[in-house]
Amino acid sequence: MSAEPLLRIRGLSKVFGDIPVVDRVDCDVMPGEIVMVIGPSGAGKSTLLRCVNRIEIPSSGDVVVDGVNMAGEHRNGRMVADSPAATARKRRHIGMVFQRFNLFAHLSALDNVAIGPRRVLGMKPADARALAAEQLARVQLSAHMAKRPVQLSGGQQQRVAIARAMAMRPVLMLFDEPTSALDPELVGEVLAVIRALAEDGMTMLVVTHEMQFAREVGTRVLFMDAGRVLEDAPPRSFFANPQQARAKEFLRRVHAMPA
Amino acid sequence: MGGFDWGAVWYAVPYMLQGTVVTLEISFWAMLLATLVGVVMGLISVSDLRGLKAIIRAYVYFVRGTPALVQIFLVYFALPRIGFELSSFWSGVVALAFNSAGFIAEIVRAGLQSIDAGQSEAALSIGMTSRQTILYILLPQSLRRITPPLTNEVITLIKSSSLLSVISITELTRSAQLIIAERFVPFELYAALAVYYLVIISVLSRASEYVERRLA
Repeated sequence: MSAEPLLRIRGLSKVFGDIPVVDRVDCDVMPGEIVMVIGPSGAGKSTLLRCVNRIEIPSSGDVVVDGVNMAGEHRNGRMVADSPAATARKRRHIGMVFQRFNLFAHLSALDNVAIGPRRVLGMKPADARALAAEQLARVQLSAHMAKRPVQLSGGQQQRVAIARAMAMRPVLMLFDEPTSALDPELVGEVLAVIRALAEDGMTMLVVTHEMQFAREVGTRVLFMDAGRVLEDAPPRSFFANPQQARAKEFLRRVHAMPA
Repeated sequence: MGGFDWGAVWYAVPYMLQGTVVTLEISFWAMLLATLVGVVMGLISVSDLRGLKAIIRAYVYFVRGTPALVQIFLVYFALPRIGFELSSFWSGVVALAFNSAGFIAEIVRAGLQSIDAGQSEAALSIGMTSRQTILYILLPQSLRRITPPLTNEVITLIKSSSLLSVISITELTRSAQLIIAERFVPFELYAALAVYYLVIISVLSRASEYVERRLA
């Protein structure tokens, strides 16, 4: 395993109006790490995630994924900002899964997964479909490949969304509250898929409110509040013995810690 | 009040059918041109091409803020000055398309922007460029929403083509006016004229409903 971090975040801030939603965050993620980002709503967890692949443009700070600065290139000692096309190319291998699935509403499950390899990676249609079928099989959806998103349950939609991201052969996966929009009985199937990816060694950043899942699957927990990372610890020690008062209060409120 | 002069209406039929053909021809070419230009402008309006977006905004501002009749005269008299010697038929086509394209651009822009932002975010997240996102994700989803306002626009265009009588194009309205001048039967022929337009537009509405169902 390389000693270089796969994801390096330095001094990352995102300001909306005068409010720093993400406030000077530093974080290194090593290959294979599964980082659970938790904290109260409005803490900036989702914004942090969205700044990593520049769906949200950071106000300041650096994000480096796999040695590549997401904002631009250093040329002759100067930072030259990327063109939109260059940003798009850098996003290809960072998978993202959204709270509300965001499957392409006009496409079948198969085409949702195939369209990235086809249009972005330039694969032949038949090859893209074969790859998509393979990815859908991994999330146990082979029987539903022809269905449109509206014909699928939330859990199925989210699994298609995971397959769509995985079809791009990501080096890093970002999960933005992947189970928060699901009916309780559908949460398990999605978490099982994410757990399987974790066991395969995928590096991931997961914003979640599923504390038990964070504890069991995470190799590390970031606790955020008011835009800042207040704790960065292995799950076992974080959940057993949070250092910050804000973290203790949060865990009590979500019943992850006895009162 | 005298009786209704049916004879004049029958007498006018061949002339008004000829006028109908001209109206349909003009409307067809104008719509084709307006759709091509309007859709491209609508797509650019949601893209990240800032310079072109500003030009389109100015264009739409002008088209929306001036009467179609004035635009027709402007195009008719302006084209020769900038070196385009077009027949009045093609001047008419250009004038109508000039007007309609502005509204179609707005229809397309609104249709694209009505698609949930999550769709674009998902497209960007798999590495699509903004052009690919618009083309493969937003446009296909907005087609069904665009169809009804686009049909309205076609209807408006066909009705506006009656204004082209002022630049001596013998389309449907002028063909009726010529008979009125000849036989002085304004009520009968304007009534007939209304029916001709109603028939044309009813057929068109039916066709559009069919298209809308197919896109469902």
